[in-house]
Amino acid sequence: MTKAVSGGREAGRVSWEELVSTALVGADRRAVPPESLLERAAEQVVRMRAGRRPGRGRPPAPAAAETMPLVPGAAADRLARMLAGEQSRLLTEWLETAAARRVRVPAEMIPGLLDLGARDRSIRACLGAVTGARGRWLAGLNPAWAYLLAEPAHVPPDEVWELGTSGDRRAFLAALRHRDPAAARELLERGWSAETPEDRSVFVPILADGLGMADEPFLESVLDDRRREVRQAAADLLTRLPRSRLALRMTARARRLVTGNGSRLRAEPPQECDGAMERDGVRARPPAGMETRGWWLQQVVAHTPLSFWPDHLGMPPHEIAAARIGDWQREVRMGWTRAAILQRDAAWARALFEAEPLTDLLAVLPPEERSRRAAELVAGHPVDGQMVMMLGGVPRPWGHRLARAVLKKIVETTRTQPWNAGELIRLAGERFDPAMHEHAGEVPELAATLRFRSEMLKELE
Amino acid sequence: MSEPAATVRRVMRRWGQAATPDTGDAGVDGARADARADARADAGAGAGGRVAARRTQAEQRESRVAAGLSELERWLADQIGQGIAQARQTGPADWDDLARRLVDAQAPGVAGSVTRLPRVLGAEDWPGLLLGEYALLRLLAVAHRRAAALPEPLRQTVRARVGFPVTRESVLAAAAVRDHWDVVGCRDEEQDRLVARRVWLAGRTTGRLAMVLSFAPAGQPLDAFPPPGTTIDADLAFYPGASPLRALVAGRRGLVDAGPPPGTKVSQVPALIAEVLAADPWTDSWPLVLDGAVPCLDGLADDEGNALPLHPSAGVPWRLLAVSGGRPVTVAAEWTPRGLVPLTVWNEDGRAVPL
Repeated sequence: MTKAVSGGREAGRVSWEELVSTALVGADRRAVPPESLLERAAEQVVRMRAGRRPGRGRPPAPAAAETMPLVPGAAADRLARMLAGEQSRLLTEWLETAAARRVRVPAEMIPGLLDLGARDRSIRACLGAVTGARGRWLAGLNPAWAYLLAEPAHVPPDEVWELGTSGDRRAFLAALRHRDPAAARELLERGWSAETPEDRSVFVPILADGLGMADEPFLESVLDDRRREVRQAAADLLTRLPRSRLALRMTARARRLVTGNGSRLRAEPPQECDGAMERDGVRARPPAGMETRGWWLQQVVAHTPLSFWPDHLGMPPHEIAAARIGDWQREVRMGWTRAAILQRDAAWARALFEAEPLTDLLAVLPPEERSRRAAELVAGHPVDGQMVMMLGGVPRPWGHRLARAVLKKIVETTRTQPWNAGELIRLAGERFDPAMHEHAGEVPELAATLRFRSEMLKELE
Repeated sequence: MSEPAATVRRVMRRWGQAATPDTGDAGVDGARADARADARADAGAGAGGRVAARRTQAEQRESRVAAGLSELERWLADQIGQGIAQARQTGPADWDDLARRLVDAQAPGVAGSVTRLPRVLGAEDWPGLLLGEYALLRLLAVAHRRAAALPEPLRQTVRARVGFPVTRESVLAAAAVRDHWDVVGCRDEEQDRLVARRVWLAGRTTGRLAMVLSFAPAGQPLDAFPPPGTTIDADLAFYPGASPLRALVAGRRGLVDAGPPPGTKVSQVPALIAEVLAADPWTDSWPLVLDGAVPCLDGLADDEGNALPLHPSAGVPWRLLAVSGGRPVTVAAEWTPRGLVPLTVWNEDGRAVPL
């Protein structure tokens, strides 16, 4: 080596640090000929590059073996294209479908997906499933991806309740609750005081599956939890049990606040939000822009069993929903709307939707009816932001009726106001049954998206 | 010269800068200049006087380069004499100027190295890195001055790094090396609307490594080349030099189904690089195929815990880590003086994954 570098002359014992320091301040100042400094530096730099010894590595502990099969090659290729930008709005559906099919993605795609999940919470649950053991291993190495460890993966092992991650334990509890509601509640109750506030707030909603009066004493005790999210979750469940103590307390409050007088209703908000109300899940501080007492009124109505109102006001739900209420009409209606959603009451949802078509209510209706009602709205309205927002609240896949109505609307709008159809076309592309592509020939962009989805779902089968 | 000097300068400068952000390679700058020089020679001379004109041009070039490099030597000595402490402030403008003069002196290879100098300023230890670059530049200028005394292969290396053109025909005229070549890495880099594609190859039986370079204007397709993970039966013609790497495909005979390439051990790399640098001390990019390497957050380790560091600008190699899952893998990487840049990894099914 030295022959090629400098003709083999002895460079003397000048350290590299000394050469650098002389070069920094200037060789002239230290009375060193610059040429000889450069010559020595050349020799040393090549010697350092060539003589660089390996350092000590800190290899991570190996990842656990995978338990799920790899996604088929064509599906993986499509995912790579989607991650590169093609039809990226459909990524969520790809992930949901793959998660449901219990397949995992190729390892090299996991980092890109975990980066996406770091920005977009909505896909995290799916990522927990499709990234498999390798995903969790990577999440343990990169703090930015640690969120993945809170998501359930498939097939929780036996000791998961004692030793598993938060996500695994949640999955385990949900599965047990589905099989044996009492056993799940008892398991939860036994270790309740040792759980973290975060875990407590995600465990309570799991009891919604198979909820009954047997859960009432436990949920009532959870109302004393230190963490507001935990209390709130328990209160939301208790309002679904009309004979729960919370439901009775709320009913007593509601009885004084909303009263009937023939066909006219009257509402009077609470004067204060006392400790008992707060314990029952009423939040004292209103969201920005909302009147404080009206906010309390809305929450009391929202947590009162809907079955209370027809007797109390002497009217069936559809009349109540349409009745005029004077000053506090907005707050009371919002309360009922929230109650219909919390208590999943289709009759009330229907009645309220007729008075005011709020998308959130559609979710409570049976799919066929939801599709019909949305279709009616679409037929009678011009395409605007409100319609797109309403449709945005109707989950995939849209029923035949709604799809037909939307397609008709798109074709009309494309003809008269093409600039207005874009967002609706994109939404339709995501929500239609992909088999509709055969009928969407008039809207090439829509047909292309539907064909893409149709192929995408076929590959994942 | 028949063309306006400004045009030449602009074009040559563009070629000089269109090299890779992570690695420098004076051979690339020479390659960019080759095509340009051929075109100029063809356009500038009449049919009868072409040979004579070329000879005169070549002589002119020799003296221009010699003058340019001796000016470079003086400039470097001045810098070191005065001290480089202010290089972060004044360097980029000075280097720009210097590179322009070197282009005018028809030494595009050296000009390219100068153009890449600002990269060292981002590093914490920039004074040491800059001194190293200055020292190697001077070494090249001195080597060129003494070229007559150098062994022929090293003389070729020096001329290539300075930026003298080597014609395709002369490369193809030399004996080609036939082997089953594994495509172990590919990287496209775009700068100033010119895309440079490097494809790295490793020969199964000869154990030789090669790099095939191609250019295309941005937006236009580059030469199609089989992707990493494939193996081709081909004849490669190497550019001359003391440590030949750059090659042309002289003949392609077909694809071979061969599985992942054989590799060297992490612990063998230092000896291998020492050999390469002994032959060509300016080497700043060399392909490696490692086997049994365990990717770490900042390096590649073997089962004894020896580890080669990664290039700091490469970041944590998450895709590589993901594929490895903490187990030993076969991985191809580009060696650079500041660390490895991963190129390709072979997963547990033997499938190549570009990084």
